[in-house]
Amino acid sequence: MIMFELDQRIAEQLSTISLNSSVQVRCGNSNAFMVTASTMLPLMQMFEMGGVYITASRGAVEIIQAFESIGVDVSNIQFIDLVSSGILGGTDVEYSNIHFVDSPIMLESVLLRTLYILRTTSSARNFVFIDSVNALAIYNEDRMLAEYLHTFINTFRQREVLSIILNVPDQTPPLVLSNLDLYCTDLVDRGQVVIH
Amino acid sequence: MRGGIPYGSTVLASGTCGSGKTTLAMEFLVRGALAGEACAHFTATEPSVKLLENIRQYAFFDMNMVDTGLINVFDMDVLYSWLGLDKSTFDLDDVHALIKSITDIVNTIGVTRLVIDSVTTLCYKIKSEQLIRDFLFTLGKKLATLGCTTILISEITSATENAHWSSFGVEEAIADGIVVMGDVERMGHLLRFLQVVKMRGTSHSRAKHAIELTPLGVMLTPMLKWGSQTDSANWGA
Amino acid sequence: MKKKITFDKEDEEFFGQVGSFGVPKFDGEMNGGIPRGFTMVAFTETGSGAELFAKQYVSPAEESENTLYISTNEGQPEIVRVFKKYGWPLDINVRTIGEEYNSNVLERELLASRYRLEGFRLEDIQRLAQTRFVDENNQDYLTEVTNEIMALGPYFRAAIDSLDFFLQRDDPNRVVAMIRMLQAHTQMYRGLLLISVSVNGLSPSIRQELASIADMVLTFGVRTVGSDFETSMIVSKFRNAPENLKMLVFRVTPEEGITPETVERIA
Ligand SMILES: Nc1ncnc2c1ncn2[C@@H]1O[C@H](COP(=O)(O)OP(=O)(O)OP(=O)(O)O)[C@@H](O)[C@H]1O
Ligand SMILES: [Mg+2]
Repeated sequence: MIMFELDQRIAEQLSTISLNSSVQVRCGNSNAFMVTASTMLPLMQMFEMGGVYITASRGAVEIIQAFESIGVDVSNIQFIDLVSSGILGGTDVEYSNIHFVDSPIMLESVLLRTLYILRTTSSARNFVFIDSVNALAIYNEDRMLAEYLHTFINTFRQREVLSIILNVPDQTPPLVLSNLDLYCTDLVDRGQVVIH
Repeated sequence: MRGGIPYGSTVLASGTCGSGKTTLAMEFLVRGALAGEACAHFTATEPSVKLLENIRQYAFFDMNMVDTGLINVFDMDVLYSWLGLDKSTFDLDDVHALIKSITDIVNTIGVTRLVIDSVTTLCYKIKSEQLIRDFLFTLGKKLATLGCTTILISEITSATENAHWSSFGVEEAIADGIVVMGDVERMGHLLRFLQVVKMRGTSHSRAKHAIELTPLGVMLTPMLKWGSQTDSANWGA
Repeated sequence: MKKKITFDKEDEEFFGQVGSFGVPKFDGEMNGGIPRGFTMVAFTETGSGAELFAKQYVSPAEESENTLYISTNEGQPEIVRVFKKYGWPLDINVRTIGEEYNSNVLERELLASRYRLEGFRLEDIQRLAQTRFVDENNQDYLTEVTNEIMALGPYFRAAIDSLDFFLQRDDPNRVVAMIRMLQAHTQMYRGLLLISVSVNGLSPSIRQELASIADMVLTFGVRTVGSDFETSMIVSKFRNAPENLKMLVFRVTPEEGITPETVERIA
């Protein structure tokens, strides 16, 4: 069923970290979904966590369907979709676990919505997953995004919610990247894609 | 700031339309009711039936609070009619009758949290500025002596022009605290914000906070400094 | 919308083509009485005896339960006193709108001044907190009255004394529209309807419209003749019977009420 090898070493690395960690997950354009799946699967299945998946890269429906295509049920994960509101009819979806924020520039709303969702979910241990910093960087000014990531990471660290921040480093402005390196407690680096 | 309004003080909640004033005020009452406090909400902007309908969506609200008399929602129109205030302009006598009836209500049922939504609509009926001043001042003083914490809601047309936080310029003078609510525009999108301008007797953040109205109530987070372009534009002007 | 009404043979015989004015001499002057189905508009002056005429007009009360007297100026006791005095039937339907209105307003004002003086009691506050709407202060008497008349059966007899109450509180065009509806209803049901309206302050256009709707137009006037008052009724419109247009001078006597004296043809 699974069309590609999952990266088992990510799961191994994740099993060593605590809930108040913030993990920067670097990937490239071609392996983004493989890295995403390799990160999400252990969280959901091994560690039985709930969580919020924030997507700024593509519509949540696409991501849910990508997971479904590799046989993974993500109906327990809540999605915050920042791109579909900008598309006519984009919010007309049949998944009840998708929430929409009008635009990827409404960063504060994203934070508050995430907090709200976490307060209403039942799972004891949760993660927040940002997909991705480079996508957010398209819409947001560097200084604002850097400031935001700082607030974001601290907010969830305080609440013992694991933050996972996906990032394609060569598409992220240096200021944001250096801040991210500074605030994150852990790094999963799959940014250099080795082509066999 | 939350849970941080000193007892017995009068707070002016000023905001543009749809900024969440009513929601904030309702949450203030419900939180009080949850702690067993008697609350009163005087609504002049929307009929109480609609208000009660709208706040049903909030997880923190329970219709029982109304049924058991912890939360008392009064329609200003009904109050006016009961007091024979059917005319469009109130005189001194009418204003005193109004103050008396509000304090009567507070006194009789021991209200400790009160909301007037909004003083703007109420004061429209009082034509003279002096009378408005008298009204708000006397009311504020009486409510304070009764130990009642009050939120006066004020409608303003713009939350960015810092000159006025109230429509008559009088409300802000008598208030112990001022909370401003409005929208910040960021690249064509509106973000709701809340800002505590003053709050006597507390140390509080004066920063703009982004807010989200959720079924769990008003949620706030500091607004990103680099994100409020309308304001930086105003500073230059 | 058009409804076909079938009338009882017996009823047709009993009620006949005309109904009495309540004043036999008027009947005699005008081919036996008021043609069934007629709406009469009476323009009145103060002191012209029109109020008494309206009562006397309902007094024949062929069927008391199908007879309705609507007064906007007098209360029940005054009306009863007059009916008793002349020995007219007391079992007709009477609606005293002015009285209802005043007691509503008065009650409200009394309550308001009590609240303002004494403040709210706990039970007042509880009731206030449960009152979601302002009491309809402006009860729609016009619609009520219209419905009440429309609910009467064939060969009804009704009087509205007077229209002034409605013209003062409602949009006059709405009042006229209602009268038009009542006229059609009266015609269809072969009823008799008298509507009085005071000429003081009546706008010429409304007067014109009412006169054109009416099947019969009466004008009650009073003037001084020497040291005496002379009251008169002028019939200035009588559908299909112009020969009935005339002026009738009358007196009010304790025995018979309205008592005609002389008649002058005006056409
Ligand atoms: N849970 C919610 N999620 C999103 N929007 C909400 C929610 N609850 C309320 N709103 C929206 O918030 C807006 C403002 O609500 P509210 O009535 O509190 O504002 P207000 O400042 O009192 O407005 P007004 O000036 O009209 O009295 C409304 O347009 C409503 O649709
Ligand atoms: Mg409101």
